[in-house]
Amino acid sequence: MRAFIKTLLAEIKKQHKNYFHSKIIYISLFLWPLLSFITTYYSFQTFDLMKSNVIYITQGNVIIYLLIGYMVMSFFRSLVQSAWNFSFERVSGTLELIYLSPTNRAAVLLGNAVASLFESIIVMLVFSVFMLILKKEEINANVIPCVVLFLIIMVMASLWGMFLNSIFLFSRDSGFLFTILEEPMEIFSGVKVPTELFPVWAKVLSVIFPLTYAIEGTRRVLLLGSSLYDIRNLIFISLIIISILISSIMIIINKVEKHTRMTGNLTLF
Amino acid sequence: MIIAEHLQKTYSVKVGKGLKTEKQQIRAVKDISLQIEKGNIVGLLGINGAGKTTTIKMLTTLLAPTAGIYTMDSIDAIKYPKEVKKRINMIAGGERMIYWRLTAFENLWYFGQLYNIPNNILKKRIEELFDLVGLKGKENVPVETFSKGMKQRLQIARGLVNDPEYLFLDEPTIGLDAVVSKELRQHVKYLAKQQNKGILLTSHYMGEIEELCDYIYLLNDGILIEKGTVKELANKTFHRKNYLLNIYNTTNDILDTLVTILKSIDPSVIIRQENDGVHINSKDSMSLELSRICTVKGWYIKELYEQEPCLEDTILQISKEV
Repeated sequence: MRAFIKTLLAEIKKQHKNYFHSKIIYISLFLWPLLSFITTYYSFQTFDLMKSNVIYITQGNVIIYLLIGYMVMSFFRSLVQSAWNFSFERVSGTLELIYLSPTNRAAVLLGNAVASLFESIIVMLVFSVFMLILKKEEINANVIPCVVLFLIIMVMASLWGMFLNSIFLFSRDSGFLFTILEEPMEIFSGVKVPTELFPVWAKVLSVIFPLTYAIEGTRRVLLLGSSLYDIRNLIFISLIIISILISSIMIIINKVEKHTRMTGNLTLF
Repeated sequence: MIIAEHLQKTYSVKVGKGLKTEKQQIRAVKDISLQIEKGNIVGLLGINGAGKTTTIKMLTTLLAPTAGIYTMDSIDAIKYPKEVKKRINMIAGGERMIYWRLTAFENLWYFGQLYNIPNNILKKRIEELFDLVGLKGKENVPVETFSKGMKQRLQIARGLVNDPEYLFLDEPTIGLDAVVSKELRQHVKYLAKQQNKGILLTSHYMGEIEELCDYIYLLNDGILIEKGTVKELANKTFHRKNYLLNIYNTTNDILDTLVTILKSIDPSVIIRQENDGVHINSKDSMSLELSRICTVKGWYIKELYEQEPCLEDTILQISKEV
């Protein structure tokens, strides 16, 4: 366990120094979702939201509704990018050195995901909290469900990052995942439009993204004041997702090492 | 001790044929056996595509052999690669394999953590390594500002951060200037002879192999074709002897006399006069006869020695023969 934690901390530190060396990066990571959020907000203004079937959207709280979507999305979206960045380790030859060492591979992947998670969301999170305080009259939340949900989202996002990292380890040709997961995740997870308004085929797609459950749960807790009991189904699904992710990560890590030892593709890029 | 017996590696590669892809088997290593003892530097030579890199990758457990036996200090390295990883490290030439945006210290610290080295030991070791590779004072400088030679020195320090028992050096001096290359060779010698590390070295620079290696394995097309010390390889390859004889005031008469006498001893002898003296190529040893002839004839010898073929000549000759 000591070795695991040492590697985890070392990876977090290295990731911070290697990719977040300039303060400009924080601005760019914040600016993109912010612009998208503003665009979406003004697009929503053209519709009469009083006629909405969705119980937690009103004309007054639409800004908070969207902000929650973008805030939670930033947890997951940043990890797709960080996994893509992780594939550069293959090009620089450092991935080979990580595999040359006896270190725990899961610790490296987790460290990488956790570092990206904190680095990428911190500005957006501060902004969101500031906005939530500013519009506190629209908030209807209990502390305990908020804390529990936040922890679940953090765990789920970190594991999602690990999962993506492990897939990028598998092959140099995993870059297509970046295209598949970035935009579709935003569209089908209900960041802008609630999933319950989706046609059936889109609802089916939304099921596969952990972000869907994270957004839905956060909106219910922050806008409707839902208790843990009220969102028990979402928590249950999230726990199932967490279990699936952990199992998949372990299987993939094992397979990646066997696969690379057979093919030698660790040095191909 | 590292013992590898009959290692083989076959890759399965996909080859595009129109819209379809076909799997092809490529035998990168067909049959290689070698041994590396602690305190020794072993050279792995071969022409491009001989299987050197694949062999190193197998020995460092990054690749699993398709067949063969590989043990390190009696540990089955194929079955327990993690145990082997604790005892080894690898240094490759070039500017990759380090994080450019991190400082030199941060690089070593990161890789040290991957080996679960206690922090107090790691800190002390990093200080010693900076001293060893001559990067003292540059610890907190980002690697991206380093010259090629400095990056290579850092690579060496990185390769030693876990104090490995066996070290694999894959073209470590590639692209380095003469001064840095010499320094590196001194480090390598020090590591083997003073710190008792077993070292495997591949290099395209024959002089480097000749200077450093206690034993050499020569590969061609994935097969081990020769092995031995530099001298053993030369003896196996060159069956004839070469001498250089330099006599004061050499005249054509002296040369004619020499040719006559030597031809009577060895009819196959080849003698040619060049600027630096008389070059004699004979079937058997001639050193005694040459000094005796000069004494009897009253010729004053400026220099007389047997010219041993350099490793480059040996490799070129072997390459011609295979």
